[in-house]
Amino acid sequence: MADITVFTARRVRTMEASMPTAEAVAVRDGRIVEVGTLENMAPWLDAYDHEIDDTFSDHVIMPGFIDPHLHPSMAAVLLPMEFTTAVEWDLPWSDIGAVGGRVELLDRLIVLDAELEPEAPLFAWGHHPIWHGEIDRETLNSISTTRPIIVWHRGYHSLIVNDACYRWMDIDLEAARRHPQIDVDRGAFFETGLGVAYRHINSFLLGTERFRAGLDRMRQVIHHGGQTTIGDAAMGMYGFEDEWEHLKAVMERPDTPFRIQLMPFEMGPLGDEESDEAMIERILAYPQRNTHRLRFSDHVKMFADGGFFAEMLMLKAPGHLDGRHGEWMTPPERFERVARAFWNAGLKIHVHCSGDLGVEMVLSTLEKLQWERPRFNHRFTFEHFGISNAQQVARMAEVGALASVNAYYVYELSRAFADHTLGYERASQMSRLGSLERAGIRFAVHSDFTMAPAKPLNNAWVAANRLNESGEVMCANERASLDAAIKAITCNAAYVLGLEDEIGSLRWGKQADFTILEDDPYDVGAEGLRDIPIWGTVFEGEKFPI
Amino acid sequence: MMISSVKPVPIPVTVLGGYLGAGKTTLVNRLLSGDHGRRLAVLVNDFGEVNIDVDLIASHDGDTISLQNGCVCCSIADALGESLDRVLALDPLPDQIVIEASGVADPAKIAAYGYGWPGCRLDAVIVLADAETIQARAKDQFVGELVTRQLRGADLVLVTKSDLVSSEILDSVVGWVHDITAVPVLPVARGEVDPEVVLAMSRSDLNVGSARVATRDSPPLTDADAMFETATLALPGPLARARLEATMNLWSQDVVRVKGIVWVAEADGGNAQPHVVQRVGLRWSIEPAPTDIDLEAGGGRLVVVVLRGALDATALINDLVDAE
Repeated sequence: MADITVFTARRVRTMEASMPTAEAVAVRDGRIVEVGTLENMAPWLDAYDHEIDDTFSDHVIMPGFIDPHLHPSMAAVLLPMEFTTAVEWDLPWSDIGAVGGRVELLDRLIVLDAELEPEAPLFAWGHHPIWHGEIDRETLNSISTTRPIIVWHRGYHSLIVNDACYRWMDIDLEAARRHPQIDVDRGAFFETGLGVAYRHINSFLLGTERFRAGLDRMRQVIHHGGQTTIGDAAMGMYGFEDEWEHLKAVMERPDTPFRIQLMPFEMGPLGDEESDEAMIERILAYPQRNTHRLRFSDHVKMFADGGFFAEMLMLKAPGHLDGRHGEWMTPPERFERVARAFWNAGLKIHVHCSGDLGVEMVLSTLEKLQWERPRFNHRFTFEHFGISNAQQVARMAEVGALASVNAYYVYELSRAFADHTLGYERASQMSRLGSLERAGIRFAVHSDFTMAPAKPLNNAWVAANRLNESGEVMCANERASLDAAIKAITCNAAYVLGLEDEIGSLRWGKQADFTILEDDPYDVGAEGLRDIPIWGTVFEGEKFPI
Repeated sequence: MMISSVKPVPIPVTVLGGYLGAGKTTLVNRLLSGDHGRRLAVLVNDFGEVNIDVDLIASHDGDTISLQNGCVCCSIADALGESLDRVLALDPLPDQIVIEASGVADPAKIAAYGYGWPGCRLDAVIVLADAETIQARAKDQFVGELVTRQLRGADLVLVTKSDLVSSEILDSVVGWVHDITAVPVLPVARGEVDPEVVLAMSRSDLNVGSARVATRDSPPLTDADAMFETATLALPGPLARARLEATMNLWSQDVVRVKGIVWVAEADGGNAQPHVVQRVGLRWSIEPAPTDIDLEAGGGRLVVVVLRGALDATALINDLVDAE
């Protein structure tokens, strides 16, 4: 076998300002030797045995796409389910159209009921009353009296079941009737009532076989989207060691064309008398277990306020449109104490924050930490960044913060949140990117899959266009430029993960990770980003067609 | 022979809420080591904070610490439901479950586990407020709304660290809490609160029948419960349900706790049946007494805990029973 493989292409888009485009990439042992033209590569090619691979002569080579924030374990629970959301999902094993209304949802459930094996429970994820109206036990009984049917809310907020499911769960209905957050007649479990349902279905959902099958589907999803690196932004949500074993079993295989950067999920010291010092030591030891594709570094994940889809975000005045309240996932004092321990230990902190009060709490903490012990290059990253204001963005720039943004909120939620949750002004400015770009703050866009499809080009498309599912442009001034949107899924995403010397652009010495496109995004322009076909990827020099 | 399954009596659940530093852990420590004669299962967020004397520990098994006195302490980790199931599987069952809510939880939401978790019933939501900091917290931009909402969800508010502030400030804090909620507000010094105020009447109370209730005619008057008076109301005969319910609604917030066994006569006639009556703050319940214990027939007894100075046992009895 030749020492060096040279991939030639219609164009190589490097994402390196010194040489934005090239014609060929020379690769040896999974790493890039040189990017440029065959002519300029002559010293290398004369010196070493080589072969020219022109598979991509009609294609564009991009740096391998990076999704710095998603959740393989959550996806593993969800992917074995049937998707019935109000927006479309293009999954590797099927193209699922939008289920836009109540009738469509019921029709879909009827079809699924007919397709499934007789005994199998039917889990349908994606119900949202804003689109699908109310569904209840009787509705589901009309679809089947024998098959357990479970309809799960898009934001995991509630689930609705039929009588057959009650029997399958073997639930004490009399006790359930006393529960204020279980409506036995409607078949609805919500908030704390969900816990009662989970105790009957978790052993099914988290069963090793099903969970690993779900993880394997996740593998396909990631490849399908063109990613060659992802970040697991809360490793340990369902139990650290279990997840680690599952990830090793499913992901650490020669045919897995991506690596996973793992950020441990840290709410503070573990219960039993773990000191802050012991916590830091534990976290710093994680990289010792790294495998080829599964890698810890010195990044940690914290949580500020509740979820965006679940509408549990903490908001500054005027709060939620309907007067509801969000929630803190970490008490502010505790957040500050733990963040200080991480900061002083030199760790890179990523914080889930959804609402502008969440941003405010995290930002004031960061300002305090900067005052106490200034740090450069600290990579403190605001994750999701649902609602914020322009003044907060200016302060983020002052203290050197980064952002990893779920731009897709704009597509799926901006109209619904304008009408039901936030009013128009705030909803139209969710996931603000234009302000970040103008302030010179480096940002990534992520999927937080399954919050958004794990399709970087689609998320970059939302970032650059801010079109929502109703076809409206929501706050054109907060659009990212085309260049910033592409950087957000390549070099800036690498920067957010602290991997900019390894991945994110194409130059000598970096990993030979490519996403192979049919067109150059810079030719296609912002409008067409999501429609660019993906041939497949190259991971560490090896071709993986889709 | 037909074997009938005896339905287990739901176990009372007390939720302890309040923001960080309000004194929940101090109270938990007291309840775990206190001499109250109950086997408690206390679910805490973090063992690290609970300071159990090693001499009292019988065994420590991962998420559960068992004490010599029969109490257990379990860490909730992230799954309250699982922790509840764990203590509901104990043999013998605990007399009462106490859930220490996280500092940012809305205790009224956690209370749903008491209402609805199979095998449980909610006894009370008790919210602690730090006399020194509660008013400042209530103005804090990040947690002010939450702290106020926690107080609104309480059946009983304990104003803790009352010994650390002047009596003027304490009065103003208590008054301020009263403006937020109509439930009883009790100052607590050095974490000393009478367990009988916090804890429900339990199965062990029931099992020793009325004897235990009767012996508490004169409660130990410690520094801790110097603010309360306790009386046992011996009832001459069964009470009409409507009258009993009306009285539970009628009694003011000075009546901090009521618990006991009452023979209740239904409007449709028939024999009066024994019921367990519990009232915390303004929340009350009247539930059929378990069938597998012996109770002396008659009217029953109610133990009432009343703020010191507000006790008029005769008036309370008169509220329940028509004066002859």
